[in-house]
Order: sequence, then structure tokens, then C-alpha cells
Amino acid sequence: MAVNQPMEARRQIPRMVTYPTLMLGLFFLVPFAFMVVVSFWQRIEGAESGYAPGFEFTHYARFFSPLFTRHLLVSLEFASLSAFMSVLVAFPFTYFLSRFGRRPQVLTLVFVLCVLSLSEVIVAYSWSVLLSRTAGISNLFVFLGIMEKPSSWIPSYGAVLFALTYFNLPFATLIMYPQCTRLEKSLTEAALTLGASPVKTFFTVVVPLLWPTIFTAFIVLFVFTMGAFITPQWLGRPQHWMYAILINNQANIRGNVPFASALSIFLMVFTLTLVAITVRLGRRGLQR
Amino acid sequence: MIRISRTVFCWLVIVTMSAPLFIVAGVSVNERKLMFFPPRGLSLRWYEEIFTKAPWFEALTASLSIAIMSGIIALSVALPTAYYLWQHKVRYAKVLYSIGLLPFALPPVITALGMLMWWAQFGGTGNYWGIALGHGVFLITLPMVMISLGLESIDRELLEAAQTMGANSTTTFRTIVFPMVVPYMVAGYAFAFVLSMNEFIISFFLGQFAVQTLPVKIFSSLRSGYSPAIASVSVMFILLAAIVFGLVARFGDLPRLLGAWTPKDR
Repeated sequence: MAVNQPMEARRQIPRMVTYPTLMLGLFFLVPFAFMVVVSFWQRIEGAESGYAPGFEFTHYARFFSPLFTRHLLVSLEFASLSAFMSVLVAFPFTYFLSRFGRRPQVLTLVFVLCVLSLSEVIVAYSWSVLLSRTAGISNLFVFLGIMEKPSSWIPSYGAVLFALTYFNLPFATLIMYPQCTRLEKSLTEAALTLGASPVKTFFTVVVPLLWPTIFTAFIVLFVFTMGAFITPQWLGRPQHWMYAILINNQANIRGNVPFASALSIFLMVFTLTLVAITVRLGRRGLQR
Repeated sequence: MIRISRTVFCWLVIVTMSAPLFIVAGVSVNERKLMFFPPRGLSLRWYEEIFTKAPWFEALTASLSIAIMSGIIALSVALPTAYYLWQHKVRYAKVLYSIGLLPFALPPVITALGMLMWWAQFGGTGNYWGIALGHGVFLITLPMVMISLGLESIDRELLEAAQTMGANSTTTFRTIVFPMVVPYMVAGYAFAFVLSMNEFIISFFLGQFAVQTLPVKIFSSLRSGYSPAIASVSVMFILLAAIVFGLVARFGDLPRLLGAWTPKDR
């Protein structure tokens, strides 16, 4: 019987996964496919759904207007910088965390999970408070005598970048945590016994060994940040708006659903292409 | 020296991570409808408002019921998917598992738009079920990955022993596999629940302002003007997450549930 099972499984979708197949198919894959189809449909102003079947490339042709390419580049810049910065901070943090004693480690993990679960709405809101004139940290600096009078630091480029990095920190920590705990202590101990300084050990043993994890974390955060919606809207100026805001504007405000679909697909293809290129470069870097 | 700088660095990260939490907590107890930190006057009226003012309370119940439902949906899809891959390493199992990973490999706004368009075809936008299903499918990744971790930790010799002693696959699942993955299922549910409570873009797209979850409510009320109730809702969210994950840590092995193992575990 044990020999037959895989054969049967190959022939048809087994009963065990009929339900997952239906759920993922009907509520994830089909909607996605539908979006791809609609991106070629005609836009009809005034109609209830705003579109009708057709086949045209008009929506795709519109990308190449400077407005959309500029916002795509803005998204790219914010996503890669904030993913980079959060990995830069989170990696040493996660590595040290995995070397904590049991109790502080569990407590820190609970804390990180709490921060992780914060909605983008709440994170953006709390940073808008923190960087505001009336309730922000500038008041603390005035109190300490560093600044003369409190000032507002939003909206600004730095605020968006900082908040996005903050939002990514707990994700980065949790992605890298498993591999960090699995790094064998004997390896670092060997380096230390052979006379390498702790700093040197960190850069010549720990970082190269965990490079694939660091890299994965960067990619995942990059993809997620490409879809940031609230942070750039609240903490930035219109020129800092990222792609998701444009998609929302087209779909929910202007009612141009086919164009919004085309934008989404373009965003996806663009993101995945970049990911593929980066992964290839990263592998080459690893072999070297 | 090295040890001190390491400790300082870790504390710096923790303090930075918690800074917004303190500020929001401070703002939430302001007496008047103004945003001040440190707070001026001390009052819990903004917490009261969440439970007494209908719009806030509706958003709270909407969020809670959607989170409870979507956690169940995510878990019910994740368990067979992960179990199937673990049991049969056939290609279809891998394909299905990869589809389960997809929601986390795309910018979420894309998933949200696809769902919105699909639901709009059937008039399914603006109701609880649409959002609960959307979250359920979107959040399947976490319980699925966690259950897989749990399954990987099962010693296959145990299963062979059970089979030699005459247990069929249902009995083996019921008596060995299921009890061993329950902690991972609970943790996966906790994740899906908390993330659904905080999810914004799918709730926003599918709700179309007819159903407002708490994050959407915060978003729309910030646009119409500031109220410290926003801060007190945020504080309640943080507390809720702290309670849920605190319980998971209290009754389960949190580092292990998050994927940690030391070589001696094997």
C-alpha cells in the first residue's frame, strides 16, 4: 500500500487536499487570474463596474508616462533602502538575541512579536506623533538642551524611510532567528581560540555562514515594502508616494479598475524580475 | 568591552522599537482632545469611548469576529497542505505548498486588488465574510510554515512503529501526528489572529467602507480629524498582542515554535 500511494497521488488530486485546492484556487489564484484578464479589458466610464471585456494594451502603454515611472523609482528606492537598513540593524541584534539566556530570549521574542503585529496604520500613526512638534522627541531634545525649540519633522523623506525601516525590523528579526539559533557555537569558539577578535569572528565566521539568511530577509522585506501604502501617504509629501497609493487611487477613487490591474501586474513583474536578478547576483557573490 | 557594547546595542534596538509604543500610550491618556506628550491631565475617557461610542465598538467587534474566523480558515487550509507535503513528497504537494507561500511573496496590495475585483463580480464586497475569507487565504502562509516545522520534528520511527503494530493512517494521524503538531497549530492560529486584527489593505479594499475593521477605522478617522481614541485603540492592540503571545510563550516553547533548534535536539 505504501508503494501505491504516491502513484495514486500523482494521477489525481487526492481527497486530503481537495479543500485546500478549492480555497486557494477560488479565493487566491482565480482572483489573480481575473485581474490579469481585466488588465486588458476596456475601461467604460459610468458603468457600474467601470469596465467591459475587450483586448487592448492602452493600460500598459500608460506606464511609460513620467508620473508612473517616477513613482516606481521612488518605491524602488524606499523599499531597497529600508530593507537594507533594517537587515543591517536586525542581523546583529538577532544573532546576539539567539545567544541570550533562555528567559531573556523568550521575553525579547514576545516583545518583538508584539511590535511585529502592529498594523502599518498604528506604526505610521505613532511615528507621526513621535516626529510631531507638540508630542514628539524634539521636546525631549529641548528638555536636554540639544535643541532650542521643538520642531516638526514630518512630512519628510527621512520620516518615511525611518518608519518603513522600523516597520521591517521585527520581520527581519523573525526571519533570521531560526538560522541564527542553528549556528553551532563550536565554530565561533574555534575562531576565538585561534586568536581572532570577537569583531573579526563576527565578520569572518558568522556573517559568511549566515549570508543566505541575511539575503533572504532582505528579499522578503524588499517585496513587502514595495507594497507600502500608509507610511508614505502620512509621513511623506506627494513626491514620496509609493506605487500602492497610485493603485488605490486608480481602483477606488478614479474607478479605473483595468488600469489599476495593469499597474499591479506591472508592479509584480518589476518586483519579481528585480528579485530574480538579485538572487542570481547573490548566488554568484556566495560562490566567490 | 565587547560584551558591554553588545548589551548597549541590544538595548538601543529594544528602546527604539518600543519608543512609539510609549508615546502612543502617553498620548492616549490626555484629558482633552489634543495630542500632547507628556500628556496633560490624566483620563481614561478615550478608552471608555471605544466601548461606548458605536462606530468604535462596531469596528472592534468587526475586527474580532473577522480575526477569529480567518484564523480558523487559515488553519483549516494550512493543516492538510502541510501534512500532505510531509507525507507524500509528490510534485502536486510541492506546488500547493508554494501557492500557500505566494501571499507572502507578493506586495500585499496586489492580492488585495485581485480579491476586490473578484468579489465585486459577485457583489461580495463590503461584508464580513469576504474579508474573513480574504484574510484566511492571505494568512495561510504562517500556520502552514509553522505546522511544517512541527511535522519535521516528528521522529519517523514512531510512525513506522505504529504501522508495524497495525495502526492505519487515520489512527496514526489521530494518535501521533495530531497531538504533536497541536502546539504549532495553536501558535499558527495566534499569528493569523493577531495579523488579521492588524491587517489593513485587504480589509480596506474589500470592506469598501461598509465594513470597517479597527485599522481601517483608525485610518478613516485620522483623515477626518484627530482623536486620542486612536491612540487608546492602538494601546489596546498592543496589549492584545502581548497577551496572546505571552500566553503562547507561557504554555509553549516559543523559541522552538519560531523555528529554533540546537543540534542536540536531533
